[in-house]
Amino acid sequence: MVPRLSAAELSSSPRTSRAVFVELIHTFLYSRACISAAVRNMPMLASGGDKSLPGESGEKRVGGRSAVSKLERLMNLIAMLLEARRPVTLEQIRNSIPGYQQESAASFKRMFERDKSELREMGIPIRVEPLDAFGEETGYRIPKEDYYLPEVDFTPEEKVALLLVHRFASGGLIPLSREASSALLKLSPDLGGANPLGGARPVPVRFDHPAEALEKLGAFWEASVRRKTVRFAYRSLGSSKPRERLVDPYGMYFDRGAWYVVGHCHLRGEMRIFRVSRVESDVVLEHPENPGPDFERPPDFRLSDHSRVLPWEFEEGAPQEAEVRLSPRIAWWVERDLGDIYPFRYLEDGSGVIRVTVRNEEAFCNWVLSFAEDAEVLSPPGLREAVRRRLRGILRGLEGGRDVRS
Amino acid sequence: MSGPEARLRRMLALIPYVLKHQGATFRELCEVFGVTREQLIRDLELIFLCGQPDYTPADLIEVSIEGDRVFIGMADYFARPVRFTPSELAGLYLACSALARLAGPAASSALHSAMRRIQRAMGMEELSPEEVEKSLEMATPDSREEVLSPLLEACEEHRVVEMEYFSYGRGELTRRRVHPLSMEFGMGHWYLHAWDEMSGEVRVFRVDRIKDLEVTKERFTPHREEEAGRKGTSTTPESGEIVVRLRFSLALAPWAREQALFSEFQEEKEGLVCTLRTDSLSWLERELLRWGTEVEVLHPPELRERLRRRVKGLLALYAKRSGRRRTDESPASCAP
Repeated sequence: MVPRLSAAELSSSPRTSRAVFVELIHTFLYSRACISAAVRNMPMLASGGDKSLPGESGEKRVGGRSAVSKLERLMNLIAMLLEARRPVTLEQIRNSIPGYQQESAASFKRMFERDKSELREMGIPIRVEPLDAFGEETGYRIPKEDYYLPEVDFTPEEKVALLLVHRFASGGLIPLSREASSALLKLSPDLGGANPLGGARPVPVRFDHPAEALEKLGAFWEASVRRKTVRFAYRSLGSSKPRERLVDPYGMYFDRGAWYVVGHCHLRGEMRIFRVSRVESDVVLEHPENPGPDFERPPDFRLSDHSRVLPWEFEEGAPQEAEVRLSPRIAWWVERDLGDIYPFRYLEDGSGVIRVTVRNEEAFCNWVLSFAEDAEVLSPPGLREAVRRRLRGILRGLEGGRDVRS
Repeated sequence: MSGPEARLRRMLALIPYVLKHQGATFRELCEVFGVTREQLIRDLELIFLCGQPDYTPADLIEVSIEGDRVFIGMADYFARPVRFTPSELAGLYLACSALARLAGPAASSALHSAMRRIQRAMGMEELSPEEVEKSLEMATPDSREEVLSPLLEACEEHRVVEMEYFSYGRGELTRRRVHPLSMEFGMGHWYLHAWDEMSGEVRVFRVDRIKDLEVTKERFTPHREEEAGRKGTSTTPESGEIVVRLRFSLALAPWAREQALFSEFQEEKEGLVCTLRTDSLSWLERELLRWGTEVEVLHPPELRERLRRRVKGLLALYAKRSGRRRTDESPASCAP
C-alpha cells in the first residue's frame, strides 16, 4: 500500500524543494513504486536548487503553517474535475484537495465558490450535474469535450504568421490585445518553437508601440460591432474641458500611431471623428439593458472614406483646388502616400505636381511647409499668399517683432 | 491580468506544450511563453506538486529535466489547453485581421489561411469576418508588399541590400548598402534595423522612406556587435547631444503634450515649454516650419539662426512668380 501524503505534510513549512524531496525519499522507504518518481524528479530538484517556493499572492498562513498555494489548489481542482467520471460532490472536493481540508466548512464553501467563479471567468467549463436520477444531490465536473481546445494543424507559413500575431498582440496596440494573446498562448502547443520555418534565429520582426488604453479600444470596438451607442467624456483639442458625448460608433481606424473612432455624434448631430487618447472617461453603453443593436450604420458607410481624411480637408471651409510642386527628392514619397487619393503627375526632371483639395488653409500650410524648399504651392494665388503670410509671421517672431517684408 | 492568474493560464498551456513536444529545451520554452528561466523553473516545480487524489508520487504529474530538456508525464488529463472564450476568439481574429492590413498581401495570405483554419476548428458564431472588415481599418503608406517582403527575406537570409533612402534628418536622398537585421512596427510605421556600411553602425530606417531597393546576391555574416548595436528603439524620443527647448502656444499645448518626441514638459504662463534631444537640427527646422507661429525656439540660438535663414530662402522662392520657371529647375535649387 502506498502511504498517503497528507496535506499537512505537503504543506509543511518552510516548503522547499528539498523538503519535498525528503518527503519523497521518506515515502520511498515504504514503497518501491515511488522509486521512479523520485529518481525522475531528482535532476529538476538539482536545477531548482533548494530555494523555497515563492509564495503566491493568494497564499495564507494557517496556524503558523504556510497554506497550500492557491495556484496548486486550483490546478488540483481542475485536474480532479477533468478526470472525474462522475460528478464530484463538495464533500469529496474538500476531503481530497490539499488547501481545502484545513478550512472550516463555512470558509471552505466561500473559498470554493471564489475559486469556481475565477476559473469560470477564465473560460474553464465547470458544470453542476445531478448525482442520481432524483437530482437531489449535485456534483461538479469538467467535461473534457468542453474543456479541450480542438487540435489545429498549421502549415509552417501559418505558424510564422501566427507567431507574428502573437508578438503584435503582446504590444497592446489593438482592441482585445490581451484576449488575443491569451488565445495564442492556448494555441502554442500547435504552433511550436520560435521559428517554425527551421531557422536558428527567431523571426526577425518586432513590434514596439506604447500600450494604448486597451479597455477603451475594446469597448469602442465591441460597441461598433454590436452597434451599441456609447457615452464618454471627450476633450477636443481646442477646448480645455472634456465634454460628455453620446456617439454611435460606426468603426475605428489606426493612423500613424493613434486610434480614431468614426461615428455619429448626438451632440453635434453629424458624423465626427474622435481620437481615442482624448477620451477622458470610461466608455459606457448607453442602453446596456437592450441586448440588440441601438443603431444601424448608414448603408453607404465605408470606413476607408473617413480613415484617409487629410488634415487640410478636415474643416467646414469651401473647398479649393491647390497645385503643389514637389522636388525629385520627395515627389516619389508623396506620390506613394497620396497618389491614390489625388491626381499626381511627374515632370521631366523627376519633380512632381499634386493637385489636392483644401478646406483648411492652416493645415495645408503646415503640410506644405513641412517639406521646406522641397515643396512650393503653385496655385491658387490665395494659398500661395497664405504660405508667404505664415513665413513672414515666423520671421517676425525670430527677428523680435520687427515687421518684415520680403 | 493579475500575476497568479497569468501564471495559471501559462501552466495550463505549458503542460500540453511539453506533452506534445517532449524534450523541449529551456530556451524554447522561455521564448514561447515569454518567461525567464527562473520563472519557468518555478512553474515546473509547482506543476510537479499537482496531480490527482491521493497525491502520492504515483498520482502526481511527472516533471523531469534531462540536461536542458524538459519532460512531463502522467498528465494526460491536461493534454490540451482550455477552449477559447468568445472574446479570446474575437481578439485573435481581430489581431490577425489588423496585422494582415499592416503587413501587406505577402504576409497576409498565410494569416488568412490560418484564420480560416481556426474558424473551422473553433466555430465562430458571434462574429463574421465581414463585420471585422467593416469595423476596423489599419493601413499605413509603408504597408507595401514590394518593400516589406523583400526586406523580411533579406533579414532572414542575411542578404546585403542596396537602397535609395530619404534621410529625413538631413533632408537628402542617399544611396546606402545595409545589412538588414530585423523589422519593427512602432508608432504607426514600419522600421528596418540594419547595419549601415556608410556610417559603420546599426541604424533605424523608416520603411516608407525607402525609395528603391535591391536585395543583392551577396550575403553578410551578422556579427554579435551588429546585433547588439541596435540603437534604442525608433519609437523612444530621439536621444542626442543637442538639447532643444521650444515653447508652444496655449492653443497648441494639448497637442504638443501628445507628442512622443518630447521628453519633458514645463507649464508657463505664455505656453508649454517642451524639451527634446537630437543629433541633428535639419529635420527640426522643417518641423518648426510646419508648426509655424504657434511655437517659439527658446534654445539653442543656433536653431533660431538656421530657421531664420531658411525662412528667408523660402520667402525668396515665393517672391518669384510661379509658373515662370523652366521645368528642369527644381524648387530645391532655389534653396539657400
